[in-house]
Amino acid sequence: MMSNSLELPSYLEQSSAVSARFEKLQNRPVKLKVEDLTKKFDTPKGDILALNNINFQIHRREFVSVIGPSGCGKTTLIRILAGLDFPTSGNVFLEGRRMEGPGAERGMVFQDYTLFPWLSVKKNVMFGLEIKGLGKLNAEAEAMEWLEIVGLAKFADAYPEQLSGGMKQRVAIARSLANRPEILFLDEPFGALDAQTRSSMQAYLLKIWQNVDVTVFFVTHDLDEAIYLSDRIIVLRANPGEIDELIEVPVPRPRSSGQFLTPEFLATKKRLEELIRPPELEQNEVIPMIRLTEVGDEVE
Amino acid sequence: MSEKKFRKRNYWFNIRKELAPGCGTILTVCSFSIPLLVWVTVSYVPFIWHPDIKLEISADREGVTTVFTAGDRVSKEFFPTFLKGVREENNLVLSARKENNPLSVTRRENIKRLRHLAPLGIANGWLESDEQQNDKKLFELWKGLAEGTLISTEIILNKENLEIIKDNWNVLTKASPDFNLKLYPTEALLKLLPQGVPSNPVYLPAPHEVLSAGWSDFNTVPENGMPTMWERYRHSLTIIFWGFAYSCMLGIPLAILCGSFDFFSKLHEPFIDFFRYMPAPTFSVLFVAFLGTSDAPKIMLVFIGTFFQLVLVIANTTRLLENSLIEAAQTLGANRRQLLTRIILPGILPNLYNDLRILLGWAWTWLVIAELIGEKTGLTGFIDTQGTRYNFDRVFPVIILIGLTGFFTDRLLHWLRHLFFPWTEEARQAPKGLLTRFLLSLNDRNTCFWHTK
Repeated sequence: MMSNSLELPSYLEQSSAVSARFEKLQNRPVKLKVEDLTKKFDTPKGDILALNNINFQIHRREFVSVIGPSGCGKTTLIRILAGLDFPTSGNVFLEGRRMEGPGAERGMVFQDYTLFPWLSVKKNVMFGLEIKGLGKLNAEAEAMEWLEIVGLAKFADAYPEQLSGGMKQRVAIARSLANRPEILFLDEPFGALDAQTRSSMQAYLLKIWQNVDVTVFFVTHDLDEAIYLSDRIIVLRANPGEIDELIEVPVPRPRSSGQFLTPEFLATKKRLEELIRPPELEQNEVIPMIRLTEVGDEVE
Repeated sequence: MSEKKFRKRNYWFNIRKELAPGCGTILTVCSFSIPLLVWVTVSYVPFIWHPDIKLEISADREGVTTVFTAGDRVSKEFFPTFLKGVREENNLVLSARKENNPLSVTRRENIKRLRHLAPLGIANGWLESDEQQNDKKLFELWKGLAEGTLISTEIILNKENLEIIKDNWNVLTKASPDFNLKLYPTEALLKLLPQGVPSNPVYLPAPHEVLSAGWSDFNTVPENGMPTMWERYRHSLTIIFWGFAYSCMLGIPLAILCGSFDFFSKLHEPFIDFFRYMPAPTFSVLFVAFLGTSDAPKIMLVFIGTFFQLVLVIANTTRLLENSLIEAAQTLGANRRQLLTRIILPGILPNLYNDLRILLGWAWTWLVIAELIGEKTGLTGFIDTQGTRYNFDRVFPVIILIGLTGFFTDRLLHWLRHLFFPWTEEARQAPKGLLTRFLLSLNDRNTCFWHTK
């Protein structure tokens, strides 16, 4: 409602600083390339086309988000990219190498934390490093460094169950980044957190991303989160899961929570809302109103 | 300002609400003391049950083949008939004597009738238990009782029996004043009337009987080279240990493979699922045939009894491990071997430990069957032998010992859990072990419900 009454610019309009930034991004080497990706699920009722004809590429140190209505295949897509699921057809290339199966060069942060409960916070962060063959002492030193970065050094010896949700997710991020992945996949990482923790975690993630050379692929259903964090946003459509639009976010960096009400931000949000929930669908929805009890003071 | 304490109505019965620790302790104590109390009450309060008469002095009847001896139990319904039968026989003897035409019997029969006093002599300590047929001593006994120099304190003789004793003594001394078996009368002596006290059936011995039987069984070395109770106990523990150990050694790796790889699951589990429905005891004949009659078939039975359940239960436990933990490890670069050793194994360990605890309880059940195959050994061998002899007071201590062993190993393992797995939630909560909780609750009375002021 509010966004209609304002004179909003087009979400395609970019300031010169933003367009210069995108130009530079385009010139960076391609990190991840997705080619004709299709995923079919066999069900008793027939095939379901979860993903169809997905093509995009992500450049180095870019922050790309995926949004879409529920059931559009966001999670299927990120799981295929991380190598946890296999596509029916199509290929995923990381720096030109074709990817098959999961690997340490593609880190992943899940919504449900997935910390190993039998390991202390420090040992959790050391897990990937030790598997890589780093000696125990080196791994420990590096793990402590990463815990310092996410601000949890004093919880190094605690068990995951003793931490709050936000802290657990910070450990999970530290654990993934300690492995120095080429690209970090995050599957609705803040979905289970309360609103306040979520916004501070978003700021945290931006700060970490600015300091580390890592490309981020982020799945969310929160439009504000997607705009606030990303360079580009892939909008998926459901049935079949296809790319609806690829939006370049015109909000300049560095980002702050103060930008939530800027015209660029609102314009982008309005466009995303239109894409995710087409307006004609909204008009058809008539919810019958039946008042069962009357208070009697005629206050609506 | 006066503080008003919030009062909970219906304190004891709330659905899925935990009681205060003090109340829990009370109930825990009750759960043990109530059955004990029932046992004690039924055993020592005569009018609650006591459907039988336990004979102290017995008698046999003419033409009845069933012989009851002292210590036997007859039902309360039957006892009067029994008594009446003996009394009628005595009346025949007396009336014949009155008509000056006394009945005569063999000397042997009279000696038999006199020997009915033997249990009374043993009970009072006048006879050793192997002197039941020492007629010279019995003669002295009859004399003493008839003349009143001996008074039975262990078994109070009723008036009728005292009369009978005097009567018989008269007949005896008439024939010969001194002991001489050859001069024993042939005139029919009276039979002692059966006498007894109300008692419970033989299968429900009283607590003190069970305790004393248990105490003596566990403290005496049996003759004829039979093992002592502690040797039997150790033997039983050895069987259960090895049976369960082999079961774990083979079962746990197989179960983890089945739970981790669909390949092994599809390959093994259908057959195991089928096999576990075949009752293990029916294989015992087979085991004895190819393993001999030593301990091997017994260990084998415990193994077979637990192995298949163990594989299925632990395979399922393995499958219950959150898949996302495995995926997270994969995205951190773990390979297949590392997933097994560094994620799956530590991940399922607390639940695996619990499964083993439950399965160990089953192993005890199989042990009881295992000890009866081939050569009967161990605690169950003892139970079987004594059970067939109706020595239930000796059976119960062993059953209780097995129960206590199982119970306390389980409690101990449960209590150790929080030491082994410090990361689990229960480890971080207040100590939950029954023992610890029990000890704590002894000191902590404030949590009791009557202190809510």
